[in-house]
Amino acid sequence: MTHFLEVRDLTMRFGGLVAVDRLSFTVEHGTIHGLIGPNGAGKTTTFNMISGFYKPTEGAVLLRGEDISGLKMHEVARRGVVRTFQHSTLFAELTVLENALVGTHMPFRPNIFAAIVGWDKEDRRGAQARAMEALEFFNLDGLAQEIAGDLSHGHQRALGMAVAFASHPDVILLDEPFTGMNPEETRQMMGLMRRLRDDGITILIVEHDMQAIMGLCDTITCMSFGKFLAEGGPREIRNHPAVIEAYLGGARHVA
Amino acid sequence: MLDLLAQTGLNAVYAASYISLVAVGLVLIFGVMGVVNFAHGELFMVGAYAVVALYADLQVPFFVAVAAGLIFVGCLGLVMERALFRPLRDNPLGGLVASIGFLMILQSLAVLGFGVRMEHIPPVTQEVLSLGDKVRLPVARLYVIVAAIVLLSSLWYFLKRTRFGWALRASAQDPEAAMLQGISINQTARIAMFIGAGLAGVAGALTAPLVSVNPHMGHSVIVTAFIVIIVGGVGSLEGAIVASVAYAFVHTFVTTFYDGVLADIVGLSLMLIVLIVKPTGLFGSADRA
Amino acid sequence: MPKYIVWMVLLVALLLLPHGLSFSQQEILVFLTINVLVVASYRLLTLTGEWSLGHVVIMGVGAYASALFSKKLGIYVPVTMLLGGITAALVAVILSFPLFRMKGFYFLIGSFAASEIIRLLWKRFRDPFGGAKGIKGIDPMPDFSIGIYDFDFFEPVSYYYFSGFIVAICLWILWRIEKSPVGLTFHAVHWQDKLAEASGVNLRAYRTLAFAIASGFAGIAGALLAHYIGTINPNSFDVEVMVFVLTWAIVGGTATFYGPILGCIVLTVLNEIVLRELGFEQMRPLIYGAVMILSILFLPNGLESLVQKFSQRRADGLAPNKASKGAAE
Repeated sequence: MTHFLEVRDLTMRFGGLVAVDRLSFTVEHGTIHGLIGPNGAGKTTTFNMISGFYKPTEGAVLLRGEDISGLKMHEVARRGVVRTFQHSTLFAELTVLENALVGTHMPFRPNIFAAIVGWDKEDRRGAQARAMEALEFFNLDGLAQEIAGDLSHGHQRALGMAVAFASHPDVILLDEPFTGMNPEETRQMMGLMRRLRDDGITILIVEHDMQAIMGLCDTITCMSFGKFLAEGGPREIRNHPAVIEAYLGGARHVA
Repeated sequence: MLDLLAQTGLNAVYAASYISLVAVGLVLIFGVMGVVNFAHGELFMVGAYAVVALYADLQVPFFVAVAAGLIFVGCLGLVMERALFRPLRDNPLGGLVASIGFLMILQSLAVLGFGVRMEHIPPVTQEVLSLGDKVRLPVARLYVIVAAIVLLSSLWYFLKRTRFGWALRASAQDPEAAMLQGISINQTARIAMFIGAGLAGVAGALTAPLVSVNPHMGHSVIVTAFIVIIVGGVGSLEGAIVASVAYAFVHTFVTTFYDGVLADIVGLSLMLIVLIVKPTGLFGSADRA
Repeated sequence: MPKYIVWMVLLVALLLLPHGLSFSQQEILVFLTINVLVVASYRLLTLTGEWSLGHVVIMGVGAYASALFSKKLGIYVPVTMLLGGITAALVAVILSFPLFRMKGFYFLIGSFAASEIIRLLWKRFRDPFGGAKGIKGIDPMPDFSIGIYDFDFFEPVSYYYFSGFIVAICLWILWRIEKSPVGLTFHAVHWQDKLAEASGVNLRAYRTLAFAIASGFAGIAGALLAHYIGTINPNSFDVEVMVFVLTWAIVGGTATFYGPILGCIVLTVLNEIVLRELGFEQMRPLIYGAVMILSILFLPNGLESLVQKFSQRRADGLAPNKASKGAAE
């Protein structure tokens, strides 16, 4: 059967180094799926291959059965898989609303001739409405006219997600979304993610801190040293001996 | 035919000599300060006018005039470093624009001081070495070749064997790490600018009696130097020298057997191809742009 | 509608302007009008973050194309101007294949190499480009009448009105593009190309689009120039002219639509009117160079930053609650 999002034998080699080694897992539609592992496990590399930032050395990423590996990032995005970035990657010079408007690029594709003559009023209004909707969802509508670079850290992270959400994605890929958030912001953000999932958006979260997403994910895939380690529900993963060993070993390694 | 080939080869060696002096200076400045010095061709031009003023007009001995040209243009480099590139260190595009402004000032001063007409300088020596039947090497050209070899080998010695040279290479590779090592960025920038500008000046001074000196002669020099540093790899001194030789041969041969405009087109196309295929150049690995 | 009144006053002032000027100043006014289009189109390219050294040669492509279309094929002149713009845009699309493999400094140098090659091709091929001497006797714009005004294109005033009209339309289009979602996407490509790409923006397509549009309008400007001066050669479009365009953009500032235009007007007036009238003919490049250096050192954000500061202060004066916010920043 075809899965919604499937990673099959995904491999990435940088020179002699194998960052990701024949990794396979599937993400079911309408779930929040966590991809965890200790530092250097190859999570971010995997994330970058799914989003089209890297081209995998071998293997495939299948979306509804279609191979999307090796496509460019904007082509992946156009198939409904939209990513966010670590840290606060935003259009810092533009306003919050303009940031969200860039996010509406796919549903309201600009047309230069219509724009010159003024036949795109309908589209502009639609884009504006969608952008405001995305900002409202993340409680940013009050800040619409602020410059994005001036926002607090938590608001910037939320705006990053609002930009992704504005494009009507099927899947949102989140790269360590809770870094730099205080517990209250984290709690709120988790609530918003559950609402996204209930709206039918599939979420794939890459996270280093296992505890942070335990209560959030439906399914968790754990990887270590580029390889698949374990998969299951949060409780299963929390008590999985190999996962505990990997995290403890990783901790010892870091120390 | 063989004679023609040998003669053309010899002409190419001469061209390679002054091109590499200019290009190595440009690479040094770019490497250490990260700025593209568009005025480099005009520094060459000022060196040539130093010889016009001292040797042709004031009858100073030729080599004294050349040395004076080197020092004068080197000091001009120091002025540029202090007045333009240091305040604009965090603004590479600004540094480029400022160097264009400086280029216009130098050009305009040359016009005001010497007029737009071409200056023809009395030959330093009429002697010609005959190699074989028809192959000739004017001694004035030999001077340029010898000077390039001597200057570039001393530069190489300076960079690889002295503390200053070590500091210079360190800050070219990683300015921040160099600073942590206690290397003064300002001092290395001054040294790089003096040497880089001085090399352009000495190249202009040496070739002055062999070309027609005019205020706009810097243009073709800077274009050539850009081609060479791109092909050689931005930031690579060895690459710049190898590329100078390669370019001089290609350009001289195409000019001799076809025409000059075509030679320019070939040179620019080479540069474009290198930019497309391997933007860091054939020898370069450092990427500071 | 006070805004309409401002525009009307500006229009009347621009219409009356040439009548207070000498013949040579009228000619300069025509060049200035054309250069405004060159520098405004250059800004569109810089919106995506790339700085080219080939814009003037692209302008030359429009000039050569329009001249050849009218001379060799006998096409009606205003039509050839449009064709010149289209040709320039097409050449830009072709150039985009090699050039957009590069970024930043390499794009700058690459654009220089590519455009120098084009210029040398004009020089090398006497047929049809006329070699180093270029093309002479380019058909002038045919005279015509619109009832209230007879256009006689031997008069610079007539050509000023004509080119002013064309340039105004082009500026209006450029303005509409910049203020549209397409313009926003250009900004997005400039400031965070990865985030733009993740939002589904085809970076290559948008970079090429900006390059092609900017080049198309530069081509129209070149055609306007060619049919005015009647003779063009490879040196009319060499890198020194490019340096002037670059200077206008940088001295004016590229953060706003009017910045480069302001730079072009201020520097042209300084260069052509003030310095020439004061008898500094010979020293003009020197002063120009000094102005460039001084403005990059002491006014890195361009003349537009002065305008913004001034209008900010006025707005703050009118709304005191905003003034405290400005002070806090």
